Amino acid sequence: MGREQWKAALRHPVGAVAAALLVALALLAVVAPMLWGDAAEETDPAALSQGSTSEHLLGTDALGRDILLRVLVATRYSLGLALLATAICVVIGVLLGVLPAVLGRRAGRLVTAAVNLAVAFPGLLLALFFAVIFGVGARGAVLAIGLAGAPSFARLVQTNVAAVAGRDYVAAARVAGVGRFRLIARHLLPNIGEPLVVNATVLAGGALLAFAGLSFLGLGVQPPAYDWGRLLGEGLDRIYINPAAALAPGVAVVVAGLAFTLLGESIAQVVGVRAVRRRRVPAAEPAPLVAAEPAAAAVLAADDLRVGFPAPGGGWTHPVDGVGLTVRRGETVGIVGESGSGKSLTALAVAQLVPDAAQVTAGRLEVAGVAPLGRADAEVRELLGTKVAMVFQDPMTSFNPSMRVGRQLAEVTRVHERQGKRAALARAVDRLRTVRVPAPERRAHQYPHEFSGGMRQRAMIAMGLMSTPELIIADEPTTALDVTVQRQVLRLLKDVQAETGAAVVLISHDIAVVAQLCERVVVMYAGRVVEELPVDRLGAAAHPYTRALLASVPDLATDRDRPLATIPGRPPDPSDRPEGCAFAPRCEFADDACRMRPSLSAVAADQRAACWHPRTRPLDLTLDAVTGGQA
Amino acid sequence: MRELSFEGTTVRFGTGRSALTAVDGVDLVVPQGQVVGLVGESGSGKSTLAKAAVGLAPTSGGEIRLDGVPLRSRRDRRKLQLVFQDPHASLDPRMTIGESIAEALPGRRRHAARSAEVARLLELVGLDPARARSLPSGMSGGQRQRVALARALAAEPEVVLADEITSALDVSVQGSVLNLVRDLQRELGLTILFISHNLSVVRYVSDVIAVMYLGRIVEAGPADAVLSAPKHPYTRTLLDAAPAFGVALDDPVPADDARLDTEAPSPHDPPQGCRFHRRCPIGPLTRPERTICAETDPQPGAADRPHRAACHFAAEILEVPAR
Ligand SMILES: Nc1ncnc2c1ncn2[C@@H]1O[C@H](COP(=O)(O)OP(=O)(O)O)[C@@H](O)[C@H]1O
Ligand code: SF4
Ligand code: SF4
Ligand SMILES: [Mg+2]
Repeated sequence: MGREQWKAALRHPVGAVAAALLVALALLAVVAPMLWGDAAEETDPAALSQGSTSEHLLGTDALGRDILLRVLVATRYSLGLALLATAICVVIGVLLGVLPAVLGRRAGRLVTAAVNLAVAFPGLLLALFFAVIFGVGARGAVLAIGLAGAPSFARLVQTNVAAVAGRDYVAAARVAGVGRFRLIARHLLPNIGEPLVVNATVLAGGALLAFAGLSFLGLGVQPPAYDWGRLLGEGLDRIYINPAAALAPGVAVVVAGLAFTLLGESIAQVVGVRAVRRRRVPAAEPAPLVAAEPAAAAVLAADDLRVGFPAPGGGWTHPVDGVGLTVRRGETVGIVGESGSGKSLTALAVAQLVPDAAQVTAGRLEVAGVAPLGRADAEVRELLGTKVAMVFQDPMTSFNPSMRVGRQLAEVTRVHERQGKRAALARAVDRLRTVRVPAPERRAHQYPHEFSGGMRQRAMIAMGLMSTPELIIADEPTTALDVTVQRQVLRLLKDVQAETGAAVVLISHDIAVVAQLCERVVVMYAGRVVEELPVDRLGAAAHPYTRALLASVPDLATDRDRPLATIPGRPPDPSDRPEGCAFAPRCEFADDACRMRPSLSAVAADQRAACWHPRTRPLDLTLDAVTGGQA
Repeated sequence: MRELSFEGTTVRFGTGRSALTAVDGVDLVVPQGQVVGLVGESGSGKSTLAKAAVGLAPTSGGEIRLDGVPLRSRRDRRKLQLVFQDPHASLDPRMTIGESIAEALPGRRRHAARSAEVARLLELVGLDPARARSLPSGMSGGQRQRVALARALAAEPEVVLADEITSALDVSVQGSVLNLVRDLQRELGLTILFISHNLSVVRYVSDVIAVMYLGRIVEAGPADAVLSAPKHPYTRTLLDAAPAFGVALDDPVPADDARLDTEAPSPHDPPQGCRFHRRCPIGPLTRPERTICAETDPQPGAADRPHRAACHFAAEILEVPAR
């Protein structure tokens, strides 16, 4: 947990209050016995068992000692014992927790089983059991509470260790010859520190309460020593005479316990999902429902499309920063670019699927004749639901894992077209057959995890086909697949496009994949389109970035004796883009002119590039050399 | 640098119905100072084979040797270093990259000597030695992969196993990592087992190419020979499917035949006879008379065929019927 996160936990209002309380309690624990230690022992025979008086604000006990002072002084002992018990619990828990990682497989399993057995035992019962074994008294109680809590802490450590132990960097360290103990000290424990700290804090709160309980029952602290629990017990005997005598230690216990627990919870919140504060999107005038002049030929028309996120330091960053994109009906367009260039976000903006925190603006955005910006989500969903289909890289995350594939497909038409259950299911099977899923009737009854990667991707496409989409957006649909399966899926997309007439936008980092399927290629860099050209003109690419991309991919004809072309440096961070041409720092042709931002302009028929010095020399794309080995 | 050899290496996972043989009697030699490229679809057992070599996967049969000496102890295995696919997962987020690299240095050294060695290694992989003090979180994938390579080299390995080390990288970065691998190999004479599902990438760095299918090596031979005249139909299918400029999706290749299975068989229940027979473009589904494919496992005679191909019809592989 970084310093930032600790700070964030303290900035959290609940966390701040809890932390302040704990600091105050700690101060009290240090100071109170020094200041009032003796006064709290002083008996006042003249004031036995009194209620509240001006001299004794909360009254006195049976020996005439001041209750307020005794509660304050007891802070040290109560907290100290609770922390001691927590420490025992944590130490034993961590030892038991990492033991399976140190021991061999078999002995490790034995420890795990033993811990699980102990966890199943009710904690308080365990504490009582230990209290009896260790004898009545503070020492026994500390041991009892510490030992009783250890199993569940051990299990926490075990689960966390097991999760981290599966990570690559731990395997890498093992391969590098790092010994077991060093592995635990350097790789395992530091990386599970956060949940352990959180739980130890909560545990301390619990220990405090448990201790009060034991002392109250007379199993904990024995006279003449006293803690809050014992004061509570004494006070309760006389609750009708002086309620404050019972209330004061009770309140102390509850407040201290809560402080620990709340601090733990607020740390946990900060460490876990960081709540994204949603900023109000500046309200835009809703455009007319159907654009005045629907560009009949275009299924997607976007001008100056921008997607912004709140920047950490205030203001906005724009990962998509003025994209212009037109897709004609039935066209296949590929979008290529490095990761972070804004490809996926552009697609999500078009399909109105951007994350909540994002803000989408555009000079013009029309999707299948609908202008979605400025409309309510539900309305857009209704309008676009049947017209735009999305296919993602990992279809596993797009399917509900607990629902049969057929039913999930059927759901789409039932929602959008209000079809009957049976008809919808029949259509689902039919669409699965369309995408050439073998034995579609049987497959429709299976769950997503029973599908292989390629089959899931087909099912995803089938889901898009449940209605008749005008635009299919496929975002890296084959990146996780093998070449043979990739080819099948790409061919399927092509067939679907030919049969339904839908336009296809294929997003990929691999320009060779795009070149296989698409008629036109759009190259993105740093949130903008830098070149647009027909696929058969790739060899005449004009933008230095496009050319570098083409040259850096090895194919089956690449000269093995020459180093691969590379692009020096890395793409600029969206929050820190250069003023002029964003590619300038990596471009070998950059000069003073490039300090101004170039806009897309025609370099040939159907080809536009955003560059002040477009290249004209044809590239050597070894176009036909690859077919050498083929029949 | 010395020779790594797998002899009948077998790795099994699970028991009962969930049991599967991820690596099934693999024989493979990685000769000294050469790069052997291992290709195959995901799940074919490539990673498991590499993990078995470094002791991260349990072998249940066969022997893995370094210069003929079986690898038994952790100490022996340190001479093999594995570089992982995902550079975002393979570096401890809490350790500076200098610490990560230093951790792999063998033997005890003084602080100054360690720092000097770390600086040398960073320089070797093309990173600024001043980076030693930074955490991996600020680095790009390509830079992290360079750190991972430096860490592997720190252990002074005899053999480096690189498992899909460019798959998680952008194409523009992939090029520079591949160049680095090639340069390091030439400079240091490294012996490398280079695993990738991408034939073009493997071709670029490898001297020898081995093709894996469902836990077995189905073809192995000099890179040029395997790629220009494949002897196993599966290799041929991979070559046909690799995307390349100027090759349209519509140009049919033999593996597009609609009679063939589109899905790989389950590794829990590999097919009888030739494991590839339900997807083979020249197998029994397109040529019913080839019943031998579904009945007799072609693996046993593989050593005598060209490229050690596990195919009864390895000799006539190029006569693919046009569709
Ligand atoms: N720890 C494991 N337990 C069970 N099965 C595994 C384990 N690791 C890999 N497998 C299985 O072994 C087979 C081979 O996997 P792998 O070696 O990762 O293939 P590749 O590297 O070629 O993609 C796959 O079917 C995979 O699911
Ligand atoms: S505008 Fe200048 S810096 Fe940008 S790509 Fe063209 S030549 Fe390079
Ligand atoms: S043995 Fe038969 S099925 Fe197997 S690869 Fe050879 S031809 Fe194909
Ligand atoms: Mg793998």
